[in-house]
Amino acid sequence: MPFLSPLPLVAIFLTWLAVRYTPARQARHAIVLLASGIFYYSVGGSFIVILALSIVFNFYWGDLLRRTSSTPLLFTGIAVNIGLLSTFKYLPQLAQPWANLSPTAAQIAALVLPVGISFWTFQGLSYLFDQYRGEELDPTLLEFAIYIAFAPTVLSGPISRLSELLPQLRSSERAGWSDLARGTQQMWVGIWMISLGRLLGSGVPAEGVTWAFDRSAGLGFFEVWLLLIGYGFQIFFDFAGYSRLVIGLAAGFAIQLQENFDRPFLSLTPTTFWQRWHMSLSFWIRDYLFMPLAMVRGDLWWRNGVLVLSMAVFGLWHQASWLFLLWGVYQGTLLVLHRFWQQFAKRRKLVVPDLLSWLLTYVVISLGWILFRSQDLPQARALLGAALNPWARATVSLPASFVWLVLLTAAGYFSWCWLSERLEGRSSLNWIPVEGRFSFYALTSYLVVFYRSSVESFIYFRF
Amino acid sequence: MEFSMSADSQAKQMAVQMIEYLKSKILRDDNVEILLDTSLVASGMIDSFALIDILLQLEKVTQRKISPGKVSPRDMDTVTLMLITAERVGKPRP
Repeated sequence: MPFLSPLPLVAIFLTWLAVRYTPARQARHAIVLLASGIFYYSVGGSFIVILALSIVFNFYWGDLLRRTSSTPLLFTGIAVNIGLLSTFKYLPQLAQPWANLSPTAAQIAALVLPVGISFWTFQGLSYLFDQYRGEELDPTLLEFAIYIAFAPTVLSGPISRLSELLPQLRSSERAGWSDLARGTQQMWVGIWMISLGRLLGSGVPAEGVTWAFDRSAGLGFFEVWLLLIGYGFQIFFDFAGYSRLVIGLAAGFAIQLQENFDRPFLSLTPTTFWQRWHMSLSFWIRDYLFMPLAMVRGDLWWRNGVLVLSMAVFGLWHQASWLFLLWGVYQGTLLVLHRFWQQFAKRRKLVVPDLLSWLLTYVVISLGWILFRSQDLPQARALLGAALNPWARATVSLPASFVWLVLLTAAGYFSWCWLSERLEGRSSLNWIPVEGRFSFYALTSYLVVFYRSSVESFIYFRF
Repeated sequence: MEFSMSADSQAKQMAVQMIEYLKSKILRDDNVEILLDTSLVASGMIDSFALIDILLQLEKVTQRKISPGKVSPRDMDTVTLMLITAERVGKPRP
């Protein structure tokens, strides 16, 4: 985890002190950008050149769009950004099958993905769209560079919008000690969530989600569902925890970032789920892809088609693979089916009990994890076969430690959600003294990180 | 751009038409209260599918052609914002 080794933590604190005690806003921005640049270089090496080129291009192109609002210019800007992303993200995957036959294909297949490119390219694109739409955005190059390369978000989001960041950058108020305290608390929560995600992945003592997926061919109906529940929580704690960590880090610098998760597993419909899961990407797809395309025609079939297409792009954003494409199409189809059901239920005045609605949503979303996590189509087919056949028997049994880990995590999560809804308006753990909360986060994180010698890396870094 | 509801009776008329449409066709509940500045998108009252119907209705009510690429959900959050958006990005129909 790039932020959590001693050197970056000291560097973050020194940067914070410099920002805190520098009166001139421009100078503060320069410090933040310099620190972000050093941070990105330490993780991404020479790819910082690509990042810098992307910043310069999008800044000047956006400025041009602001003045002309020209559609061909917008499409050129989109093409350049998608071209850059495709070169590093999709071309190597497409070239892989021919790598042994052609030296050129081998070179392309060997291209390394610049870390965070999927996130910052989408930020650049949203800026171009916003300028084309005539939003009142007039960043300086320095402000725009911070927007794209801001250290907390440059690696894995949340995908920010300049319209949200710019007023904060221009605020005369400097980060204070209370911001640092609030941010640190959020970072601890994030670290704790990431630790829990890793624990689910690696298991206690050694049989976790990764172990079970490697043996998925022998799993039966109950085992597959337990695995899907476990994986859902693993990816949630991993990514939502990382997002919380990043939001906390930015909050320390008095920058409020967009939330990325909002208790998604409590969703009563697939539509609600997609308003609560990876929200920054979900809303990006809604605002810049679904809406403009859907409004081209008023027909229902067109709108439904665009919805499926948008979710397919959502899937391919992760990786150019059949499985991610299928996952996206599957999610899009769920959303369309939900629309049909809503209209049918409205006409017939049908009311589905919340518990049933929640259960159905949880089941169909969990089923989708098969496509998200499987290594290849045969593995996905085998898992789907077992998940949809209640009589499928296991030839490999899951260890009791894994079963308990998943069940306890699920019970803990839903109890926490239930509790927090009943403590309306109050953060669910705020009734515990701050020392108690920090001790709990520290102890559990320590146990997980240091007890397990081989921990998985953050899942979303590969996207 | 300044947009004054009280000063412009035509705009007021358009706002009333939009509110009636939202109540009867989108929310299907005549008892729900929608004011000029009631948040519709951010509050979750309407979703992106409904936004498209609303935009088409906005084109009818304002007699303007609105380019889809020029509108974001944020521009449609309230009835006031909808009319401002139509004024800002819509082109008068011939």
